[in-house]
Amino acid sequence: MKNTIIKVENVWFKYSEEVIALKGINLEIKEGEIIALIGQNGGGKTTLAKHLNGLLKPTKGRVIVKNLDTKNTPVHILTNIVGYVFQNPAHQIFTSKVYDEVAYGPKNQGLSQEDIEKRVKMALEMVGLIGYEDTHPHDLNYGQMKLLTIASIIAMQPEVYVLDEPTSGQDHNGRRAIAELILKLNKEGRTIIVITHDMKFVAQVAERTILMANGEILGDSSTRDILLNIDLLEKAAIKPPQIAQLCIELKKFGLNFNCLTIDEALKVFSQYIKK
Amino acid sequence: MSSIGTSLLRRSIIVKETLIHKADPRTKFLFFLWISIWAYIFYDYVLTTIFLIGIIILAIIGKILKRILLSVAVIVLPWMALGVPILSVLFPWNSTLMYKIEIFGWQIPFYYEGFAWGLTWPLRIGVCITSALLFYLTTNPANLIALLFKLKLPFRFIYAFAAATQLIPLLVDEAGTIYQAQLSRGLRTDVGIIKRIWNFLILIVPLTLSSLTKVQIRAIALESRGFSAPVIKTCPYDIRFKNIDYVFFIGIAIATLIMVYVYTVYGFSPIVHLKQYFISG
Amino acid sequence: MFKQEVISFQNFSYSYPTKRNVLIDINLKVYKGEVLGIIGPNGAGKSTFCKSLNGLVPHFYGGSIKGNVIVAGMNTLEHTVAELSTKVGIVFQEPENQLSGLALTVEEEVGFGLSMLGFKKELIRERVKEAIEKFGLKGLEKRSPFELSGGQQQRLAIATIFAMKPEVMVLDEPAALLDPIGKYEVFSTIKELIAEGSTIVIAEHEIEEIAYLTDRILFLKEGKIISLDNTRNVLSEISKLKEAGIDPPSVTELTYVLEKELGNKFDQYPIKLSEAVKLYSEVLKIK
Repeated sequence: MKNTIIKVENVWFKYSEEVIALKGINLEIKEGEIIALIGQNGGGKTTLAKHLNGLLKPTKGRVIVKNLDTKNTPVHILTNIVGYVFQNPAHQIFTSKVYDEVAYGPKNQGLSQEDIEKRVKMALEMVGLIGYEDTHPHDLNYGQMKLLTIASIIAMQPEVYVLDEPTSGQDHNGRRAIAELILKLNKEGRTIIVITHDMKFVAQVAERTILMANGEILGDSSTRDILLNIDLLEKAAIKPPQIAQLCIELKKFGLNFNCLTIDEALKVFSQYIKK
Repeated sequence: MSSIGTSLLRRSIIVKETLIHKADPRTKFLFFLWISIWAYIFYDYVLTTIFLIGIIILAIIGKILKRILLSVAVIVLPWMALGVPILSVLFPWNSTLMYKIEIFGWQIPFYYEGFAWGLTWPLRIGVCITSALLFYLTTNPANLIALLFKLKLPFRFIYAFAAATQLIPLLVDEAGTIYQAQLSRGLRTDVGIIKRIWNFLILIVPLTLSSLTKVQIRAIALESRGFSAPVIKTCPYDIRFKNIDYVFFIGIAIATLIMVYVYTVYGFSPIVHLKQYFISG
Repeated sequence: MFKQEVISFQNFSYSYPTKRNVLIDINLKVYKGEVLGIIGPNGAGKSTFCKSLNGLVPHFYGGSIKGNVIVAGMNTLEHTVAELSTKVGIVFQEPENQLSGLALTVEEEVGFGLSMLGFKKELIRERVKEAIEKFGLKGLEKRSPFELSGGQQQRLAIATIFAMKPEVMVLDEPAALLDPIGKYEVFSTIKELIAEGSTIVIAEHEIEEIAYLTDRILFLKEGKIISLDNTRNVLSEISKLKEAGIDPPSVTELTYVLEKELGNKFDQYPIKLSEAVKLYSEVLKIK
C-alpha cells in the first residue's frame, strides 16, 4: 500500500469576495503516482496546484504535505518536498549560464559547493542537457529552455513534481521528451502532477486523472475511466484523445474497445483481427 | 489575470456622472492652465488661498474631495509647516519685522517677507497640482485620449501614453508570477538587506526580459495592423463641447476681466497689500 | 477551373541577422480560396514563412534575403509592412500580447487596424459591427480586451484582421496557448472563414485539427520544403513525418502500424475521425 504524501482537506480558496477559486476540494495523493490535472482555464487547476507547495494558503480547510500543514510551514521548507515548474521559462531564467540556473535551487537549499555540483550534473543528465553548462539560457530553443527549468527543480530533489503545462508551445519532439522525462522521474519513485490540456499526452503518461471545473473536482479516477466517460467530458467541454474518440464511436457498432493510445489500439485491434 | 492587475485596470475605467465629469477635457485642461498662471501672476497668499478654495468647491461637485484634500495635506501643508517658521527667520530678503518671539531666552525676529514666501509658494504649487488632479481624476481614459488627438500630438506619443495605462497592470501581474516562480526554487524572504537587494535582481531580470519579448511581439502585431501607415489615425472617441463647458468659458472670461482689473488697479498683491497696512499700523 | 494566384514564393531564401538559413529556396504558389496548412518541428521556419507574407520579414527583422515573395500583386521587398497590411493580415500565437493596448473596449480593438489605416469613422463602425457579429463577440463590445479569455482574445484578433478585409489571412499557431474551449473557438472561427472562401495560411501543431481544414499542406524542416501536396498525401507519409519528429493524426498512425503488424494493405489511410470510424467499423465488424 502506497503512502499518502499530500492530503487536501475540504479546501476553499477565495481570491476576493466575488472570486471563489476552490470550493471544497478533497483529495489524497499517494507516493509514486502520476496524476494529470485537467479542465478549462479558470477551473481552479493552477490555484489548487499552488496550494501544494504553499504558494497559496487555503481560506478554509487545510493542505497537509508529508504531515506538515502548509498554513504553518514556511514556503522554503515545502519547496524542498514539492517542486513547482511554472509554465513560462522566461519567468524563471535570470542567470547567464545553464549551470548557474540549475545551481540556484540547491544553493538556496544551503548545500555545499560539492553537493551543488553533483546535483547540477545529475539534473542536466536527466534532462539531456549535459554539455550545455556554459551556454547562455537564451541561446537554447524553447524546448531546451523548458527542460532547463525542469532541471533546475530536479536539482532540488523534491519528492513531488508539479509541472504546469509542460507541453504547451512545444512541438511533438518536445512533447515526447517531456513524457520520457516524467516516466524516468517516476521510476525513481517521484510523484508527478501534470497540469495540461493535451489529452494525448495525458493518455500516454498519467495513470490517474483529476478533472476540475468551476473550482470543483468533477472527476477523480483512473485516466481510462475519465477519458472514456463522454458525459463527464462533455460537461467540461473536453475532447478525449483521438484513439479514445474512435473507440467511443466504435461502441455504436457493438465493438467494445477501451483504448486510449495508439499502442493500446494496435495491440487490441491486431489481436481482434487475428482471431 | 490576478486580482491586483485586474483591479488596477478596473480602477482606471471607473466613471462617475457629476457635472465636472461631464465637462469636456479641453475645458478642464484649460482651467488648469488658466488658474495656475493666475496663481503665479499674483503674489498674494490670501488670493491664492481663495483660488484653492474654489478648486476644492469644484472637487466637491466632482465627488473627488477626499483625493484633493489628500494631496493638499501631503504636498501643501508639510511644506508650509516647515517653510513658514524657517523662512520667516532666515529668508535672505527679510526686512520688515513682524513680531519678536522669545524662545529659550533668545529673542527671535520673525520677518514678513519670509513669512509671505513660505505661505505663497506652497499655495501656488497646491493650486497647480489640485487643478491638474481635478482634470485627471474626472476625465475617463477615452476622453483623455481624445484630448491628446485634438491637441494634434504625434501619434506615437498618444500610443505610448494610452498603452502604458493598460499595460502596466499586466506588468504587475507578471511580477507576481515571477515572484512565485522564484519562491518555488527556494527564494528566501526571511533575509537581511543585502540578500534582499540580490532577491530584487532575481525578480527584475526575468521581468525585464519577459517584458522585452512582449514588447517585440506587440510591436510586430502593431506593424501588421498598419501602425506605421503615414496617415492621420482615426480617433475612435468623440468629444464635443456641451452647455456646462460654455458656462465654464463664460465664468473664466468674466473672472479674467475681474482679475485684470484688480491687477492693474491694486497691483500683484491686492488683498495682502491691504492687510499689510493693517499690520504695520 | 481558373485558379487565381494570390501568393507566390520565387526561389526565396532568408537568414535573420542572428540565425542563418531559416528558409532555403522556397518555391510555391497559393491560389485564391485555398487553405494552406504549414507543419514542421520548431525551428523549421513556419513562423518565418508566415512573417514573410506581410513584409515583417525582412523589413522588421533585417537579415539577408534572396528571391521574391509576391502577395496580392505586391512584392514584399518593395512595399512597407503598413502597405502590405491592407492585403495580408496575421494573427499571432499570443492572445494577450497581440492586443494593441490602445483600445479600451473590444469594439475599439476590432476597429484598431482600420483606425491605423485612417479609415472614416462610419466605415469603421460598419465593419466592426459586421466582424463582431460574425465572430461571436456580441455582448462583449464594451468590455476591456484584457478581461477576455484566451480563446475570446484570439477570436478578437481574427475579427480585427477580418475587419481590414485582407486578401490573405495568415494564422501563426493561433491555438497553441489556449485551453480546449479556446482551441475549439478558434478552429470553429477558422471554419467560418473557410466557408466564406477566404484564402488562408495556417501554421499549426494540432495536426488532427488541421486535417479537417486544409486543402494542401506545406511540410517544412530546417528551412526546406519536405512536402507540398494535398492534405491526405502529406499526412499519409508517416515515415517522413515521424523522421522529422511530427506525429501524424492518431488514427492515421494507427492504421500505418496496423498495416505493418498485420501485413495488410489498406487502400487509404484515414486522416479524420469519421474516416477511421468508417474504416474500422467495417474491418473489425467482418470478424
